[in-house]
Amino acid sequence: VDTAGILQFVVAGLKNGSIYALVALGFTIVYASTNVINFAQGEFYMLGGMLGVFAFSSLGLPLGLAVPVAVVATACIGALVEILFVRRRKDGEPMPLIIITVGVSMLLASQARHWFGSDELPLPPFTPGASLSVGGAAIEVQTLWIWGLTIAAVAALTLLYDRTRLGLAMRACMQNREAARLMGIDTAWIVMMSFALAAMLGAIGGVAVTPLTQTRFDIGTGIAIKGFAAAILGGLGNPLAAVAGGLVLGLVESLSIAALSTVAQGSSTYKDAIAIAVLLLVLFLRPQGLFVRATKEKV
Amino acid sequence: MHRPDRSTVLRAAAAIAGVALVACVPFVVQDRYLLRILTLVGINLVVVSGLSLLFGYAGQVSLGHAAFVGIGAYGSAYLSKAGWPWLLAVSAGVALAAAGGLLLAMPSLRLKGHYLAMATLGFGEIMFVFFDNAEAITGGSDGLQQIPPASFGPFQVTTPEGNFWLVWAFVCVSLLLVHNVVRRRPGRALRAIHGSEMGATACGVDTVRAKIEVFVVSAALAGLAGALMAHYIGSLSPASFTLHRSVVFLTMVALGGSGSLFGSVAATVLLTLLPYVDSIVPGVSRQVAGFLQDWEPDIYALVLISVMLFLPRGLAGVGRTVAARAREWVARPAAGGEGSAT
Repeated sequence: VDTAGILQFVVAGLKNGSIYALVALGFTIVYASTNVINFAQGEFYMLGGMLGVFAFSSLGLPLGLAVPVAVVATACIGALVEILFVRRRKDGEPMPLIIITVGVSMLLASQARHWFGSDELPLPPFTPGASLSVGGAAIEVQTLWIWGLTIAAVAALTLLYDRTRLGLAMRACMQNREAARLMGIDTAWIVMMSFALAAMLGAIGGVAVTPLTQTRFDIGTGIAIKGFAAAILGGLGNPLAAVAGGLVLGLVESLSIAALSTVAQGSSTYKDAIAIAVLLLVLFLRPQGLFVRATKEKV
Repeated sequence: MHRPDRSTVLRAAAAIAGVALVACVPFVVQDRYLLRILTLVGINLVVVSGLSLLFGYAGQVSLGHAAFVGIGAYGSAYLSKAGWPWLLAVSAGVALAAAGGLLLAMPSLRLKGHYLAMATLGFGEIMFVFFDNAEAITGGSDGLQQIPPASFGPFQVTTPEGNFWLVWAFVCVSLLLVHNVVRRRPGRALRAIHGSEMGATACGVDTVRAKIEVFVVSAALAGLAGALMAHYIGSLSPASFTLHRSVVFLTMVALGGSGSLFGSVAATVLLTLLPYVDSIVPGVSRQVAGFLQDWEPDIYALVLISVMLFLPRGLAGVGRTVAARAREWVARPAAGGEGSAT
């Protein structure tokens, strides 16, 4: 494989990695405020794409309007999930809440099938234009959109955490929910906002990637595993580490496919297994993540 | 040393009556389709008995049990197609599933609950990729066909009645096994883990070891169910071993109620029969059943969520409450009359 070929795999890795980073941020935000892994996170990604297609093709909105509508609608669904299902489990025990999110995931995927059918659905690129060529590697315009949106989302999230009262309250909840509540922070509202924000980030990834890959009602689980792998690779609960984890996972995945394809033909059928293998390895060898110190659980 | 109390005797009698009742089913049920559904209920029960041990008693969530069913199914089918006798092939399938369980359990049961759930989910997905792609062993996305039926020497089990009895015999064995694990020392250790893992450790319970044992037993039972299914249906396809199936099994256990084998049995029968309601309850139209089949994922999802929100003790909890109310109601007019014979 020549340099241009490797560069092409790096571009693909960074593109997928940005998507994983967005989903990983969703996991991290919800985990930080609830101590729960939201197994429905992948469905927000699916809904972003599906609602984008619905707004564009069925409602006939211009693409520039259909995309934000899909993202905001998914954020509302995220908030609704929290209000309808998560909030009602008052004791906040993680295990039942995890099982609830597993149920929510199945429910959202099935509902998407009832509403939008089980076909692969397409969306045109956000802006037309030929691919750029950088050092022999082709970069599609939509890939630039994905990178731009990811950077914008991370920047907005950083501003939110650093400069707003909501962000301050969310950080307080991250450190100690009970103490935050006693300081007069409306923790129920924070949890709801976390779900809405996580859904929004997932939807941005889902709608941005649809012009390249199309979308379907059942893609949520696959992306949830990859996003979670990214989140745990960085260290669960730390937003910047989640982004780093996403990019690392995307690169590892893409470069292993490159390495495998030179060794064995047709090995790309197992490409979905790479991210899962990374997930299991990190879980077993370094569950606290690559960039975070381990802490001991106390009684 | 200790005389069996009245409830133990009652339970044993109920169990024997239950077995007798099940054994009579093929004589009463003439409809072959219905008998087939009831056989599938039995296969689900074998999985759920093991999962009930893991989830209901040890409080551990597995989102990958369909993969163990798949390992048992493909393992046994592949070996029996290669000429192995049925019993040997099934045993090997069970052993493979147990080995897979051990391999997954050893590293992941050291993890906290949500990591374990994710590890089992990842394991399930990776096994699905394997089932779907390893054409030399699993037949890839086409699956395996013409799997030989169960056989003992020259005698083949091919009739619906024979398969019903065979599967339900294994249901009885599985339930008995799980019941015994629950009643003895491992079961007490499990309940301690469910209560407080750190507390149990402090009291000298080797929690990791207990959890690994239970996980392996539940994986082996799932493998057994898979092997039974492979030889009964005669063909396999990867679509039977998805995350969806794993969540279905989890829903059955959750609806049954943690810590109750009987509740899990009731929930499994109920949920497995639901999409076939038209062939059980007279007067229910085919359309209703069709709708239930189309909306099956939604129904399972809502059941799972509702149980977690409103019925944390599951059907068993409802049963206990009803029984307690009934006892109160019976005892009231006879207050001071009969008294409890101790």
